[in-house]
Amino acid sequence: MGIAVNISKEFHSRSRMGKDQDRFLLDINFEVGDEMVVLFGRSGSGKTTTLRCIAGLETPDSGHINVNGQIYYDSKSGTNLQPQYRRPGYVFQNYALFPHMDVKQNIIYGLRGWDKKKKEERLYEMLRLLHIEGLDDRYPSQLSGGQKQRVALARALAPKPDVLLLDEPFSALDMVVRMRLRERIKIIQKELGIPVIFITHSPDEAFSLADRIVVLHEGKVHQSGSPKDVFYSPADRAVAELVGVSNIFDNAKVSGSSSMGTVLEGKGLQVVAAQVVDSEYVSWGVRPENVHLKSCNETMFSQKPNTFVGNVIDVTDKGSSKLLAVELDSSRFIFLCETPSRFSDDIPSSRCAVEIAPEDILIFEK
Amino acid sequence: MLEDAWVPLLITLKVASLSTILVAVLGIVISYILARREFRGKWIADILVTLPLVLPPTVTGYLLVLLLGKNGIIGQLLYDMTGFAVLFTWQAAVIAAFVVSLPLMVKTTAAAISGVDRELEYAAYTLGHSELETILFVTLPLAKKGILAGLVLSFARAVGEFGATLMVAGNIPGQTNTMSLSIYTAFQSGNDALANILVATLVLVSLLAMGLTAKLVDRWGV
Repeated sequence: MGIAVNISKEFHSRSRMGKDQDRFLLDINFEVGDEMVVLFGRSGSGKTTTLRCIAGLETPDSGHINVNGQIYYDSKSGTNLQPQYRRPGYVFQNYALFPHMDVKQNIIYGLRGWDKKKKEERLYEMLRLLHIEGLDDRYPSQLSGGQKQRVALARALAPKPDVLLLDEPFSALDMVVRMRLRERIKIIQKELGIPVIFITHSPDEAFSLADRIVVLHEGKVHQSGSPKDVFYSPADRAVAELVGVSNIFDNAKVSGSSSMGTVLEGKGLQVVAAQVVDSEYVSWGVRPENVHLKSCNETMFSQKPNTFVGNVIDVTDKGSSKLLAVELDSSRFIFLCETPSRFSDDIPSSRCAVEIAPEDILIFEK
Repeated sequence: MLEDAWVPLLITLKVASLSTILVAVLGIVISYILARREFRGKWIADILVTLPLVLPPTVTGYLLVLLLGKNGIIGQLLYDMTGFAVLFTWQAAVIAAFVVSLPLMVKTTAAAISGVDRELEYAAYTLGHSELETILFVTLPLAKKGILAGLVLSFARAVGEFGATLMVAGNIPGQTNTMSLSIYTAFQSGNDALANILVATLVLVSLLAMGLTAKLVDRWGV
């Protein structure tokens, strides 16, 4: 059935003088199915507030929230279901396990009105599902981060919620545990067939988990689509930055079109993009992994468009790849260029050339 | 002689226990509201509760006399409804002890409740529990250290209460002569033997109460 959210909420942060300093408007609108949804954005973009509004822990100023056909919130009719009647499965960023209860008591805390035998059955089902058998009589203070996270998930899932909401659940875990838990959540979502909303600010996490990504920026939804859509065709400049398009250049003039596509000019650099545009001035960008590094000789007689010669001014080793900063001769442009480590050892000197395919150039109209 | 020590002890224990029970119930409610709710005039409520902590007990007592006397707002209402004049009864001593010990309870308990992670309460709501259930099974158990400290302080304050009690309940033998009042009377009238017995008894009872509290703290793992 899915979730439909259309809410707005205004925040004021007051200065000491009592004057309004910052006005932050949250205006969120998205609709998702019974799928794995990732709310993706920087911290402060409104992800957590949105999740809290869905759970009923915060109240929007206006709008509506509909989960699986049930109205959770509707400002027109004055409906605002209390969280204890919404009963979402909610996993908090800091786990929020009850420190005075052991694992067993934590997990069955949401099973109100279940008879004793069923409670016990459900408990063991959850312990098995999350591979935490044998921990049932431990207290939260005796658990590792990964174990706490599993218990928090078990507690959220035990009452068979209609929706599962996860607020950056893995941010405090190491990479191996994080990857395992990601896979587990994916499997659980497929098994239960309920909508799962997962908050993260990590692009890796967003793309490895999501069926659908909802990109939030400064309180607004900028794009909603499959990871592929968001990754390869970011809707605007803000989304592009979020998904790792680290080469972005503003105020390029659209100076005409060639057989290859649109010609963009700015700051002494001319590039050709495959995309067709209407505007006069645009921003354009390219992912660092799409800026291909070549040796100077290779490009000497190249007829390919978007080939530029320059100097490598900085190299950052990222383990499996290297990030190079290349300053072009023809202008003050600096391109970030990501190449697999095994190739970059061959780069002879600081002189090099970069090449960008016209179809890899992303154009953002205002 | 023995009765002269025994009766004040019973009166003191009765007054202090009842006042502490009142303090426990009302103190927790007030503390929760002060710690978790935002409302207009919250600072006024906070000041009103705390005032007896900073006022001299005789001033608190005097204000209570104004409130509880037959011409006072509360006293008059009570008298008209039940024909009961509350001033100079042991019940008045309970009220005096309650008013002076309430701030001690509220200060420690409100701080303890504020210290409970709100996310835990939110977690309880999402698991289908109402606010009241959450208070009873999550908030208060996690704040029990502060609550217990508040109760111990309140009981001790009630046992030692002197000024306000003297103002509102007098020092009526067999009625309102608590230990503190009796010790003063015995000392004033030159009855040093009685004063010694009363003081020894009070010290002994206090030591017992402290020991008991330590035991309880141990048992509850506070």
